[in-house]
Amino acid sequence: MTSATETIEHPQHRGGVLARLGRAILEILQIIGEGAFVFFGALRRLRLTVRTWERMMGQLVRIGTDTLPLAFLVSLFVGMVLVIQAADQLQQYTQAILGSIVGLAMTKELGPVIMGFLIAGRAGSAIAAELGSMTVNDEINALKTMDIDPIQFLVVPRFIAMTLALPMLILYADVIGISGGAIVVSFDPAVKISVYQYLDNLTQWINMQDVVVGLVKGLVFGIIVSVISCTFGLRTKGGAEGVAVSTTAAVVWSFVLIIIFDYIIVRLAILF
Amino acid sequence: MDSTRGVSIEVSGLRKSFNGTPVLRGVDLRVAAGEIMVIVGGSGEGKSVLLRHIAGLEAPDAGTIRLNGMELHEYLALPPAAKPFRLSMVFQGAALLNSLSVADNVSLRLKEHRTHSRPEIQRIVATCLEQVDLGGSEAKLPGELSGGMRKRVAIARALAVEPQVILYDEPTADLDPILTVQIGQLVKRIQDTRGATQVIVAHDLALAGEIGTHIAVLRDGRIVDYQPARELARSDNPYTQEFLRAANLKF
Repeated sequence: MTSATETIEHPQHRGGVLARLGRAILEILQIIGEGAFVFFGALRRLRLTVRTWERMMGQLVRIGTDTLPLAFLVSLFVGMVLVIQAADQLQQYTQAILGSIVGLAMTKELGPVIMGFLIAGRAGSAIAAELGSMTVNDEINALKTMDIDPIQFLVVPRFIAMTLALPMLILYADVIGISGGAIVVSFDPAVKISVYQYLDNLTQWINMQDVVVGLVKGLVFGIIVSVISCTFGLRTKGGAEGVAVSTTAAVVWSFVLIIIFDYIIVRLAILF
Repeated sequence: MDSTRGVSIEVSGLRKSFNGTPVLRGVDLRVAAGEIMVIVGGSGEGKSVLLRHIAGLEAPDAGTIRLNGMELHEYLALPPAAKPFRLSMVFQGAALLNSLSVADNVSLRLKEHRTHSRPEIQRIVATCLEQVDLGGSEAKLPGELSGGMRKRVAIARALAVEPQVILYDEPTADLDPILTVQIGQLVKRIQDTRGATQVIVAHDLALAGEIGTHIAVLRDGRIVDYQPARELARSDNPYTQEFLRAANLKF
């Protein structure tokens, strides 16, 4: 007979290693399924009505404009650090290639990935927390009872805004990062080249394809962060703790997927 | 359809389990058009789950729900403009959208479905807010309102679409006795003026007896007692009697 003080084990928590592994795999498959539902649902509803436009502009300000100061600071220092590090390594050889190193690193790799991480950490977490809080407070259910589609009402504006904002932020980060490098070149005595040489070398090596690859990454990362943030927000369960779990999971999944898709895009870009 | 008349609700053999734990074990319930049905029961007995099934927010494991004879899933599948009647729900925590003003919350459905002109929407919002004694609070944000006011805004939002069915999940939870009475009076007034069918989940037996046409008692996932509100005290169901004794009430 079960005593009154005995802990009742939840059926989902029973089982050994294999059972736990199986549950984890099922959970991941469920998240992928829900993510696909959100992604294709948003794609299917991509009609820019006046109302969607209004909501999308609001999100664009929150995701894009409000991130500009932070993006400026991060990109500037990344560009500056790149020059210092590369200049130190190249001291024995030639610092004449500093411009191309910083330019290519910023446009093809660091600009997109850092901005992707920044947006995932700043705007993606905010979206997951906002939608998560709306879910646990029954606001999503309230929308459903009003015959208002939560995907159309909440996901589509965020999806469009983030997918547009990230490539623009990447261009901005590229310019600021390269400028940060130029600032270091101009005043650091360890760098033996002029700003003119730095920029000349940069423009010789960077072509439009490099910039386009960076922008394509931005587009893909924007889709990833918006879909993941909305998916985790909408699948939130429980109260405040559930919102915290969803927010953390949204950021972690976004980071991991950004890195994976970064590899895939680079691989494809090299192939074609 | 006459917009002032409610619709009937028929729940048959409704079953629902969460993670293998049965919550509803075969609920049968019939609510006549225009009546106020209060579902009472202890905490965790499945009252809110039953209400969410009627609202179409949960999918049952088994059983059917019919609104005016129409299967609920058929009703939910219809586009908003084609639905023969409207259903509104007042959530326990009001579930107002915090980023929108009171007026925007109340008019959200009308604006999204573009069924009314802007002046018409303004008039409807003003009328609904007047009905819940919140006239003039259109510009306020939900964060500026007390719990009772938020509940009344949620009721105004439900009324704005002239629903034939209104579902309330614990409408007086966390409210003081005066506000509880006000909400009860409001529900009665809606019945008198609009004739909507109203289903209220509550554990407040005093409120249930005051405003309900019928009371259904839910226990262990089943309706164990069903009485006209005034006759609940004469029920020979031991759980109902225990519930009444605990509440120290006589109807």
